[in-house]
Amino acid sequence: MSDALIAVTLLLVAACATAAVAQRDPARQALVLSVQGVMLAVLFTVLQAPDVGLSQLAVGSALTPLLIMLCVRKTRRRGRREEDAK
Amino acid sequence: MNGWILAATVELGGGGAAALWGVTTGPTARRVIAQNLTTSAVCPALLLLSQGYGRPAYVDLALLLALLGPVGTLVFARLLSDDLADEGASAWGLTWSAAGLGAVVVLALCVAAGPGRAMVKLLAIGALLIGGNLIASRALAGGFRGVRGG
Amino acid sequence: MNRLRLWLLAVGGAGLAALLVAACLDLPGFGGTRHPYGDRAVRASLARHTANTVSSVNFDQRAYDTLGEMSILFAAVLGCVVLLRQARDERRARPEPAEVARPVRRYALLTLPVALVTGLYVIAHGQLSPGGGFQGGVVAATALHLLYLGADYRALERVRPLGVYETTDALAVCAYLVLGLASVLAGTAFLANTLLPYGTFNTLSSGGAVPLLNAAIGMEVAAAVVVLLAHFLDQAVEIEETHGS
Repeated sequence: MSDALIAVTLLLVAACATAAVAQRDPARQALVLSVQGVMLAVLFTVLQAPDVGLSQLAVGSALTPLLIMLCVRKTRRRGRREEDAK
Repeated sequence: MNGWILAATVELGGGGAAALWGVTTGPTARRVIAQNLTTSAVCPALLLLSQGYGRPAYVDLALLLALLGPVGTLVFARLLSDDLADEGASAWGLTWSAAGLGAVVVLALCVAAGPGRAMVKLLAIGALLIGGNLIASRALAGGFRGVRGG
Repeated sequence: MNRLRLWLLAVGGAGLAALLVAACLDLPGFGGTRHPYGDRAVRASLARHTANTVSSVNFDQRAYDTLGEMSILFAAVLGCVVLLRQARDERRARPEPAEVARPVRRYALLTLPVALVTGLYVIAHGQLSPGGGFQGGVVAATALHLLYLGADYRALERVRPLGVYETTDALAVCAYLVLGLASVLAGTAFLANTLLPYGTFNTLSSGGAVPLLNAAIGMEVAAAVVVLLAHFLDQAVEIEETHGS
């Protein structure tokens, strides 16, 4: 029925996923990943799977970015300390 | 395919493509702004989809996104505050137009839903979405300072 | 040795790809009208007065699978707790309070209870509308961390006695098991949804054991996410190595 909608969301998800892989900096990857998570939730909704979409929204919009950014912060801080020590 | 779904498709296509382009190019500050505006673009689309499919339960997705999307942006604003302080991240024109878009969609759906519990829920989602969007933009434009130690 | 490993990987990957393609060729057409599994699942879920068929599958028809998923999360969090503990050559630095703009702080403190209630709402309505223990648990746990985002880490630590959350996590896993064993004691199968009355269709108290299992999962997930994030936050904010090794 709404093939155009499915095509649009599918393309967006594929483009976001490719873009997330193509980034070099982990912080920027996390940014693209959070956008991709939202798009994926929309795709699940469009395919009539709102339960999965809700899981994706709950995990992908705040929790995953927080975990990734905390790891980035830890490694950056360690890098700074090593530079100071030199 | 009805008008609601068509509107959602247009909004997702336009907003999604713009957000993707913004989040993959340019300095970090601009990327975070694009990440923030993704919430404001996609949440109204989810509301439109719920109306278009005739399934009021799908509104929960928009509620969760309106709640957690700005929280995700606050995560970035807080943990990237060093980068953002150097570059300055404010795009109030875009922020207000995104807020206006959310308000228009919520009002249209309220008219379609008529008075009742559904309308209250829609208004709550609209308030959360617009408030969260504005506050997240404020947080990006220097909401966090001196978070090195914490 | 390296070549052998690559060959082994190639053979395994090719086999998996062949099986997946064979399986995909046999799938019913996309968006078609034939749903053999779906029809049976919907019939079973309606027979047990559960409006949300997905919840019925997760917590009734396939509750045993959910037990497995819950153990995966439990084991993953346990592994993180062991890996991210404070090592002997690390010390804790007190985090300095951050300077947060007033509107942001107010927003965080106002949204915290709203998000908490939304999480509970999603858990409680798992048998009626999309959602359930996992989704609601994650939202409730995320809500707590608005304290870190809107204020500082010490504010979060004050309302987050970690031991309580670790105990809650374990207790919730036990609760799920006990609910399963209760039906064994009643003379049916493990986790069979036969013990409780099915209630009125499309009300909060419908679906037999589904709401209870949902609540157990919600508790488990919320506590697990809080414990997981606590250890990540400890590592990122507090724990420092004493010498730059």
